[in-house]
Amino acid sequence: MVIFALKNSALEAIERAQNLAELETSYKAYLGKKGELTLILRSLANLNEAERKVQGKEANDLRNLLEKRFAERKKEIQREEIVIQEKLAIREHVDVTAPGKRLPKGHTHPLTLAQTKAEEIFQTMGFTVAQGPEIETEWYNFDALNIPANHPARDMWDTFWLKPKNAGHLLRTHTSPVQIRYMEKHNPPLRIIAPGRIFRYEATDASHEFNFYQLEGLMVGKEVSVANFKAIIEEFYRQFFGKPVAIRLRPSYFPFTEPSFEVDMRWNKGAWLEMMGAGIVHPNVFRAVGYIPAEWRGFAFGMGLDRLAMMKYQIPDIRLLYSGDLRFLQQF
Amino acid sequence: MLFSYNWLQEYIKGKLPAPVKLAELLNMHAFEVEGMQKKGRDTIFDIAVLPNRAHDCLSHTGMAREIAAICKLKLQLPKTKQIKVQKGRLTPLKVKIQPASPKTTSQGGPASQQGGSGELVPRYSALVIEGVSIKKSPKWVVDYLEAVGVNSINNVVDLTNFIMLETGQPLHAFDYEQIEGRTMNVREAKEGEKLETLDNQVFSLPEGALVIEDAKRLIDLAGIKGGKVSAISLNTQNIVLQAANFNAVAIYRTKSQLKYTTQAADMYAHQIDPNLAMEALERAYALCAELGIGGKIAQVVDLYPKSASWRIKRITLDMQFVSSILGIPLSQKEAKRILESLDCQVALAKNRLQVTCPTRRLDLTMQEDLVEEIGRIVGYETIPAAFPIAPIAPPSKNTELLWLSKIRNAFKGLGFTEVYNHSFIGDKDFSTFAYSAADKAKLVEVENPLSSEFSHLRDSLLENLVKNVRDNQKQARLAESRQAETIRIFETGNTFRQHKGKFAEFNMLGALIYNGSFYEIKGVCDFILNSLGISSAWYDEYQATSEESRAEMWHKGKSAEIKVDGEEIGFLGEISSRVNTALKISKPVGALHLNLEKLILLASEEISYRAPSRFPASTRDIAILVPSQTKVAEVMNAMTGAGGALVRDIDLFDMYEGEHLAQGKKNLAFHIIYESAERTLTSKEVDTLHNQIIKAVEENPEWEVRK
Repeated sequence: MVIFALKNSALEAIERAQNLAELETSYKAYLGKKGELTLILRSLANLNEAERKVQGKEANDLRNLLEKRFAERKKEIQREEIVIQEKLAIREHVDVTAPGKRLPKGHTHPLTLAQTKAEEIFQTMGFTVAQGPEIETEWYNFDALNIPANHPARDMWDTFWLKPKNAGHLLRTHTSPVQIRYMEKHNPPLRIIAPGRIFRYEATDASHEFNFYQLEGLMVGKEVSVANFKAIIEEFYRQFFGKPVAIRLRPSYFPFTEPSFEVDMRWNKGAWLEMMGAGIVHPNVFRAVGYIPAEWRGFAFGMGLDRLAMMKYQIPDIRLLYSGDLRFLQQF
Repeated sequence: MLFSYNWLQEYIKGKLPAPVKLAELLNMHAFEVEGMQKKGRDTIFDIAVLPNRAHDCLSHTGMAREIAAICKLKLQLPKTKQIKVQKGRLTPLKVKIQPASPKTTSQGGPASQQGGSGELVPRYSALVIEGVSIKKSPKWVVDYLEAVGVNSINNVVDLTNFIMLETGQPLHAFDYEQIEGRTMNVREAKEGEKLETLDNQVFSLPEGALVIEDAKRLIDLAGIKGGKVSAISLNTQNIVLQAANFNAVAIYRTKSQLKYTTQAADMYAHQIDPNLAMEALERAYALCAELGIGGKIAQVVDLYPKSASWRIKRITLDMQFVSSILGIPLSQKEAKRILESLDCQVALAKNRLQVTCPTRRLDLTMQEDLVEEIGRIVGYETIPAAFPIAPIAPPSKNTELLWLSKIRNAFKGLGFTEVYNHSFIGDKDFSTFAYSAADKAKLVEVENPLSSEFSHLRDSLLENLVKNVRDNQKQARLAESRQAETIRIFETGNTFRQHKGKFAEFNMLGALIYNGSFYEIKGVCDFILNSLGISSAWYDEYQATSEESRAEMWHKGKSAEIKVDGEEIGFLGEISSRVNTALKISKPVGALHLNLEKLILLASEEISYRAPSRFPASTRDIAILVPSQTKVAEVMNAMTGAGGALVRDIDLFDMYEGEHLAQGKKNLAFHIIYESAERTLTSKEVDTLHNQIIKAVEENPEWEVRK
């Protein structure tokens, strides 16, 4: 009888429970450590065998039934709660047009982006990245590159000299000294690029800065030709700008290359844009680093990284790159 | 140099291509045409003659020869007249040339490159013309001169300019009567000698400038500008018409030192062929009648002591060499045709050409030079692109760059924006950042700065970064109005310093947080060191002896040296209030300056890890009241020592000083995490360990554990 009454009240409690907490309270009341049914089950031990058999079965059956019902009801309540939450969620709306929470975001400088990209492209073509100092000697910046003192060719590079001038130190006017330093330490064949900061004594305007970046390239081997240079550079521009380009070479003069050219580039049938100077390495440069000119041949080139970055990102004024203006820099 | 289309046409048989087409051809095969302008019936080109072709192409005949070769046209050279000396009544002119000083001959430059010309005046040629008439030039001469921007003066001066622009040989006319003692002495000037030139400028000459002196005084700044005293006037009757060849180095040096130049000086500075001198005089003689100068030649001066060394050059050109440089096959016949069109003489041999170059082509000295001539006349555009055949060796990795990119990415991840500043600092910075005379003496100074703002090289990245903060703070206030305003910037770049009598260059990293504290920037530093696998960094309180950083920059109480294994690798802290005040920066600025080279040397890709324990950890908190000066590290060391191996981590979660605490005290609160890899620690075990730690802390009488 006790069991029967317990069954009814427990089942009723299960049905009555409206949420998981209530259900849990009821569960504890019947099946917890001190629950009513638990106590009955525990008290079975005190009964004689016949009573125990009858009441024990009833009590255990009820326990199994209640466990099952509790589990079922728990699932039901969970389902109901999801439905309720979803109903609530519709009411609890946000303004989807309001801006999201702003997280701190960093920005890489466009010159770093351009330089990194150029390095990656040349590395896939077997070029190693080399570096050199920004303060150079007259020897590395000029003499070793076949640019003698008191020669008008030196006027091609407006130079910042360091005090005292007779010590012959200057701020490198191009990255070409890295060629010399690298060749002094390495035997051919070789392929290098040398990106870096250079300096020119020049008034600034939208297309001129007094410190800026150049990317030097040098390939030395047994058989290296103008045709090879064209292929490497065309491939570089194609990958850098991500579209097919045409290049053309025009005659030029640099003391450290013979023949020398200017390299122009264009997209589709657009205007030709001046991109860089280049040429076949002059035998005197090989002599300066102790190579035997008859045995080796190379091409060298030097392009302005600022110009590459400006073209890629359509930056109209070189001075923006060195302005530290976050309104500009935080767009990259 | 300016060139007249009509004038060029004078030296070409047949019709020149139209101006636009001509400019395009010159661009692709010779020189860049930088400007083109119609002027009446003429078109004027501004052509950037390349420095190695200044020997022969700063002239209309030189340019016409190029055009003829490019366009396969025939050249027609102007007529000259054999010079005939007639008996006159003038005293013969005596010309003496002094030997060059060792200083001039040892200066390098083109003279030393072009064998055998260390002399001050490789050739001195002149005509003494008696009985000239000075008058206006005929219209065609005036038109040509004015077309290329030269004013017509009188027929004699116009003749010298015309010949120069036609042939590339500068001429100069002296008034014979003004040459005292009828002697000319060509020598190097002594420093400070004075000379007034035709254009009324008085120069104080540098040592080694070339001058011509008569019996009494200086009469000419040789090769650059005529002297006023010997100038042609309306009364001039007899002239000396000079076609000299002056030492290129001496002219180049003098014009650079005087910061003064003329077209003649530019030509001489690039060196010209001495053989041109007499050709030019023969041409001038032919024109004397046309320009109404008249007169008769009373004397010919021609001092050309080393004429033998200025003979023609022969170069053997290997056809295989030509093809392998250009990367295209080329027939012997075609190569011969091209070189001949450039006035070379060519003899065919087996797979070779024997090439004799005209002496005016001082730039042609080796095979490569001829390859360039062939390549550009054929046209570089005909060369197809072809990838080189080279071993597939992966390029060696530049680990420095890999680390640098890792560092940049770490900063980007922390919300920093990368900036690039100029490498220079100057006067304003010295006062803003309180440079002492001793500080300045350590800087590298520029000999010829653009302005006093950029007179020295930076010895730290921070100065310019702090200025970036100043320039951006107003913007930051606007942009960040929805959150706490902040600016986070960083830069990598080189700094420079004088070190033991040498110039030292350092690759540095600088970072700033505007509205950032010491602890925030220290957190950044920890993060960066962590990303590089550097775990042994130590922060030392600022000491006046720090070599790497100037004290005036830093907040004395909130700055630290960063050391790894006892070596200083950088500095961090808050920027001093004097700097903030000077720059009107309104919020504290946390700054970090690290030596990248040292950092990268220490960087390591090895990651050592400890397996996470399968057993639960227990946490106990401890709050300790210590004197304000006590270092967190000291307290942590004491706790770590006492706790032993079962203490996994001690973490400072609060540090408080101020209200409710005794003066001079601060409260430190730590989480201590206990954990074993082998078992679950009982709460009794944990309590025992924790009490050991408390005891150890309390051994210091100044430290009080709050319970």
